[in-house]
Amino acid sequence: MSTTTTSQTMSISLRVNGEERTLPVEPRWSLADVLRRELGLTGTHIGCEQGVCGACTVLVDGTPQRSCLMFAVQAQGCELTTIEGVTPERGLSALQQAFSKEHALQCGFCTPAMVLTATALLAQNPHPSEAEVREALSGNICRCTGYQSIVEAVMSAAKEA
Amino acid sequence: MSTVLSKPRFTGARVTRMEDDRLLKGQGKYLDDIAVPGMFEIAFVRSTRAAAKILSIDTSAAKALPGVVAVMTADDCDFLMKTDEYEIAQHVLARDEVRFVGELIVAVIAKDRYIAEDAAELVSVAYAAIPALMSMEVAVSPDSRRVHGHRANAFAHWDKKTEGYDEAFASAPHHAKARFVTHRQTGVAMETRGCAAMPDPASGRLTVYVSHQSPHQFRTDLITVMGLEENQVRVVVPEVGGAFGIKAMFYPEYVVVTHAARVLGRAVKWISDRVECLLSDCHARDNIHDIKAAFTADGHIIAVRDRVIGDTGAYPIMGFPGAVGEAGWATNMLTGPYKIPHVSITVDCVFSNKAPVGAYRGVGGPVGAQVQEGIVELVARQLGMDSVDVRRVNLIQNEDFPYTTATGNVYDPGSYVQSLEDALRLIGYESFRKEQAAARARGEYLGIGICGFVEPSAGVSSEAGSTPYEAATIRLEPSGKVTAAVGLGPSGQGHETTMAQLIADELGIEVADIVVLHGDTDSAPFGGGTGGSRSATIGGGAALKAARDMKGKLAHLAGHLLEAAQEDIELVGGQAQVAGVPSRGIAIAELARIAYTDVSKLPDDMQPGLEVVARYRPAQKVTYSNGTHIAKVAVDIETGLVKVLDYVAVNDCGVLINPMIVEGQIHGGVAQGIGSAFLEELRYDEDGQLLTTSLSDYLLPTATDVPPMRVEHIVTPSGNDGGFKGMGEGSLIAAPPALANAVTDALSSFGVLVTEIPVLPQHIVQWTQGKETVLS
Repeated sequence: MSTTTTSQTMSISLRVNGEERTLPVEPRWSLADVLRRELGLTGTHIGCEQGVCGACTVLVDGTPQRSCLMFAVQAQGCELTTIEGVTPERGLSALQQAFSKEHALQCGFCTPAMVLTATALLAQNPHPSEAEVREALSGNICRCTGYQSIVEAVMSAAKEA
Repeated sequence: MSTVLSKPRFTGARVTRMEDDRLLKGQGKYLDDIAVPGMFEIAFVRSTRAAAKILSIDTSAAKALPGVVAVMTADDCDFLMKTDEYEIAQHVLARDEVRFVGELIVAVIAKDRYIAEDAAELVSVAYAAIPALMSMEVAVSPDSRRVHGHRANAFAHWDKKTEGYDEAFASAPHHAKARFVTHRQTGVAMETRGCAAMPDPASGRLTVYVSHQSPHQFRTDLITVMGLEENQVRVVVPEVGGAFGIKAMFYPEYVVVTHAARVLGRAVKWISDRVECLLSDCHARDNIHDIKAAFTADGHIIAVRDRVIGDTGAYPIMGFPGAVGEAGWATNMLTGPYKIPHVSITVDCVFSNKAPVGAYRGVGGPVGAQVQEGIVELVARQLGMDSVDVRRVNLIQNEDFPYTTATGNVYDPGSYVQSLEDALRLIGYESFRKEQAAARARGEYLGIGICGFVEPSAGVSSEAGSTPYEAATIRLEPSGKVTAAVGLGPSGQGHETTMAQLIADELGIEVADIVVLHGDTDSAPFGGGTGGSRSATIGGGAALKAARDMKGKLAHLAGHLLEAAQEDIELVGGQAQVAGVPSRGIAIAELARIAYTDVSKLPDDMQPGLEVVARYRPAQKVTYSNGTHIAKVAVDIETGLVKVLDYVAVNDCGVLINPMIVEGQIHGGVAQGIGSAFLEELRYDEDGQLLTTSLSDYLLPTATDVPPMRVEHIVTPSGNDGGFKGMGEGSLIAAPPALANAVTDALSSFGVLVTEIPVLPQHIVQWTQGKETVLS
């Protein structure tokens, strides 16, 4: 039987979508929970908390990471980007527009993480092959689209860029 | 009113979705995004035993944990989910006995989920074990240990036989038999189930948020179980992150959450975690079909005997008839697109110590299609024929419609022959056999698999509340913009867009000027929700009807103002005009303004405002969409892995409202079919422990598992308004058999006939190492 102290918090500082944030967190809080509950960034979705589905993916120093498998305290000093951070003030980014045009989303639950993962891919590899796109997205599960339109959206955004 | 001469602008077009903007920005509000100040959260203690008496429950340590608000057992939350038909009453929190791993026993309500889970770990439950009943073949015997002490495990039994079956079967020159098994699978929406209940501070009523497919059916179920009144409960379905049938069901957690909110007078939320999802979302499939087929030397299938057992798990789920639904659909659709004149069907449905079975996309359709297409392969194999030719001789021809099947379905016209031939052309069937032979010479195993499917859609009685109609309201606002509301419960199908396309065309306005609401019982008209591929057809019919009613009102008003006959008014380009005379017109926005704010100009028989409520009861009690899927695979006999190389689908769902959305449904269904055929299985051990409680154990297809797919459409309209047919499930009905048969074809030299789904690597390795095959 566990004895748990729930009230201890510690302060962390991190950059979230370009903004410096300092906040108290419990050491056991996941990064996903802190983004959603403490910072109100609910575009980050929790799909499995097992590190498998990828719905909670955010960019940590530019790299896609599972925010359900990271404690918030581990993000101390990191640069985080969530879906809110890649969405322009007005309208949609070119990649987001391609998602809409190609019908690359249905229920939308996996979509923010798909967009972030694809954003990271295109930053690193602006003209990926279809196989490279599929490989890059293979850690993000979509139950609705069968992936085809997502792959097409990423390819078409790369082509337009 | 004039008849519409112009072609619709939006219906049939690839209109991008109204839903996309908010979802792409991460601004969609799903259940877990509902947050109100001071909201409590629930964690459940679930049974860790498949079958046991509960000796005692100790909640004292949990109650003492700081931050815990309440801990409830059956004594504190005593509600029953009753199914009179099968004489079963399930306690929402188990009392005295548990019957499957994952059954609710205790609810812990705390300041947040972290504390609730801490406290849940402090609850101790003392069990006295009972041997778990895990085999449906054992359960069907009257001597098996009873899951419910007061009644036998076999709770439903029926026989169906066509007249003359016995003679037809006996006199046929050829016979074959096989056992087809579809193991347990489930929908796995990416957003887990959840609900949040709270007293409404303004009205004192109760508001219940829930991730669900049918807001009104949910409300009916909730008030029935809890003894509440409809007008005291507001149900709100926010954005739904996938549903696939599992969210059409009514689950005990919803009662507990609502009860806790009422008792505590505070907002209370529960969101399922993924372990809970795999344990307690309704499971599906789990059928055994022992078949015998009788056929002629040229491949005509004369008669099929199907002896079925369906495992419904521990309880009949609320909202769906469990194994009765699975086995019912599977056997009802047993002959698929083929003219098989005789069937003999025997079904037994049993209780077991597994999770309850409910709806998953396609319901028994994939099971029936697996049997139907497996029989075709079996016949072809036995006769040494190409299975394509067996299909050709048995297919229902165009001149046969309306066609009455041996099981009594009356198929409306479809394109069974054309879809097969088109799909064969698309995949390059003629050249494939050469390619296959060349590959085999290199030691590679390529195979092609075909499934012709028939999808009963838009049934007036389906799992979506068995509501034989759907509802739509349209309000033309004083500014001329449209607010519509529907009884549907979308979870990604894009109804805000497709319903707006239909309304826009009727009213001659832009899609962008229409907002389609759904999901809130305070604003949406009473309807059945989404399920059974009914939304486009029945919901679309309601949207059309409402729009036509509104069009009538506008024409009446415009006729009065323009001093023209109502019949001569048409709605085009945002204005009502005398047909063909745009100069004699008046803007719809101006009509709206007059209707609300300048009412002295209204005709005497017209009351102020522009609102309509319409309910649509389709002319056909069911309409059948159809199509053919063909998969091309490579089987690696060393690793047992199957790679899908190519995939084509020729689909006929009547008139398409939005081809882009239809194709999205097909792509997604095929992907789920790949999971169903090669990856997904809920595995229990003999003690009733579920071994697949994470997504690293219950595997879902990823971007590298799903090939590019090619889709073509054929349009054979239904007889319903609009000519639509439902198509949400056909691709998951067709894909598993097509994929399984592709493996059968690839491994034909080993004598393999795939009869069990999923096909796993170890099966393939075992078959190809020269061991016994299932071909008899």
